[in-house]
Amino acid sequence: MSLEQLELPVTKQAAPAALYPHWHGRVYAILGLLVLLGVMVAFATTVGSVQIPFLTTSSILLSKLPFVDMNPTWTSSLETIILEIRLPRIILAGLVGAALAIAGATYQGLFRNPLADPYLIGVAQGAALGAIVGFLLPVTWLGIGFATVPLFAFIGALLSVAVVYTLARVGKVMPVTTLILAGVALGAFLASIVSYLIITSEEQIHGIMFWLMGSFALTQWSEVKFVLPYVVVGVGVLLIYARSLNVMQLGEEQAQQLGIDVEKLKLILLTAATLVTAAAVSFVGIIGFVGIIIPHAVRLIWGPDHRFLLPLSVLVGAIFLILADIAARTILAPSEVPIGVITAFCGAPFFLYLLRRRTKVLF
Amino acid sequence: MIKLEMQNVTLAYGHKVVVKDLTFQVMPGEMVGLVGPNGCGKSTIIKALSRVISPYSGRVLINGRDISQIPRKDLARLLGVVPQIALLPSAFTAFEIVLMGRNPHLGLFQYEDPRDMAITWRAMERTSSQHLAERRISELSGGEIQCVVIARALAQETQAILLDEPTANLDISRQIEILDLVKGLCRGNKLAVVAALHDLNLAAHYCDRLLLINGGRIHAEGTPTEVINTQNLEQVYGHGSYVHTHPLSGLPAVLPRVDSSRNK
Repeated sequence: MSLEQLELPVTKQAAPAALYPHWHGRVYAILGLLVLLGVMVAFATTVGSVQIPFLTTSSILLSKLPFVDMNPTWTSSLETIILEIRLPRIILAGLVGAALAIAGATYQGLFRNPLADPYLIGVAQGAALGAIVGFLLPVTWLGIGFATVPLFAFIGALLSVAVVYTLARVGKVMPVTTLILAGVALGAFLASIVSYLIITSEEQIHGIMFWLMGSFALTQWSEVKFVLPYVVVGVGVLLIYARSLNVMQLGEEQAQQLGIDVEKLKLILLTAATLVTAAAVSFVGIIGFVGIIIPHAVRLIWGPDHRFLLPLSVLVGAIFLILADIAARTILAPSEVPIGVITAFCGAPFFLYLLRRRTKVLF
Repeated sequence: MIKLEMQNVTLAYGHKVVVKDLTFQVMPGEMVGLVGPNGCGKSTIIKALSRVISPYSGRVLINGRDISQIPRKDLARLLGVVPQIALLPSAFTAFEIVLMGRNPHLGLFQYEDPRDMAITWRAMERTSSQHLAERRISELSGGEIQCVVIARALAQETQAILLDEPTANLDISRQIEILDLVKGLCRGNKLAVVAALHDLNLAAHYCDRLLLINGGRIHAEGTPTEVINTQNLEQVYGHGSYVHTHPLSGLPAVLPRVDSSRNK
């Protein structure tokens, strides 16, 4: 039916602009956070065993951008430290933070459950089991350019979600509650195997525990190159479906009546969020709380609209994890604190604060 | 203009048959009321008409086309639904909820443009809910939420509307206001309307035709005068009501049969 048939007034009276002033606020927030992210990357490169001034690091970073021409006033060893040692680690931290935050926001929206996090349906346990198998295997390289641990972790994460998905499917539909319950059950099952393998793996126990708590130590560009495509594609897909995710908040029945193919949407969102999460955990291990607190913090500040919630979660998640990684490598320098310890140590109190603060509805 | 049709439709939840061999049609510009006792299958019929559940057997048709063949997005441009108990996400504003009615009209990469905003705003105006636009759902009463959901269905700009107890939470003047609006759209824009209603008086007043459903089957079908009589109501509802003629409209009016001796 056309506009005229509904007998809309000839003036086509517009909705008052006052209804949507916060749209501008959210767009500015996205731009502001992008700038902050850039500054944060430059700042993070100054921190380490050699303190390098902020001006130097940002000049080195800027000089590597396209269309920027600069005369180097720094030594090449300094450039190597920043570009080959510190930068890949910082970029990976940002990517993983972004991945976990957007996956968490997606799961929370899809399951309409504020406690959902990226690990809800078995990703973490699957990855952990895969990683441990990788640790315990006598070979460390498979001859295809990847270390066994991340490769097995990635495969384990995808396999476990695939199993959960198959178990939860009833005919043509996949009820969300069944999915969560199947995920929790399979997660517990895998976790028991993981525990058993840990206590029987005497020599490898340190490496395994360190992986389980997450770390960005010794990150190389090859790892960034592996994770980047999954995060970029996954984030892109999730952003495209952000409006559909809003409609999903009405529940599956109303979403269907508003033209959403609910089962297809669930499959797309789960696949994208799982790939992003699996890629993130495979190299750095299981980093808790990022996927649960970042979306909640963003929701508290900027509201529940997923078209803003998802991109803002990406940026805040990246910034948060870069900061957490700075803490992880400075607190006990020269040795490192697992980053999972930092995020949980900061994340848990924040989460409790959110629970106490019920003045604003989150969902 | 679209015609809704059910042909020998049987609906079941698992092995429990709820609606048996139902056949009826709704013409453009016609308002058909589904009446009957609790659990008779009214809501299930609405769900089948909007393809939330698929028939166990039989066909649901829009202009002769089986709705299982129509993509959901296309269907949502033809058919709007006002669900019975609309659970809405409480952190969204009323305006954001009504704006979701524009979803079936938007492509994957499209955002709402000023025209979508205008349609949304106009839909809220028609349901007298403009003043709620900036309020969050958690701050609204049941009746206000009902208006928001009806506005959302209007913003969908469909050619048929299905309403499941649209007036359940509304006061008497709002009931009339909303049903007047629906009836006006039905007549003015030749919308096909199906409304499940508990209130037999409102059903008699607004609907062109009534289907009195009992135990998943049509007990009686026809104009309100034909359907609502003491005999039919006794058979379906038991000895609880008394039918007389409305003094203003001449249509049947139902009163609860209160037996003063019974409660003593």
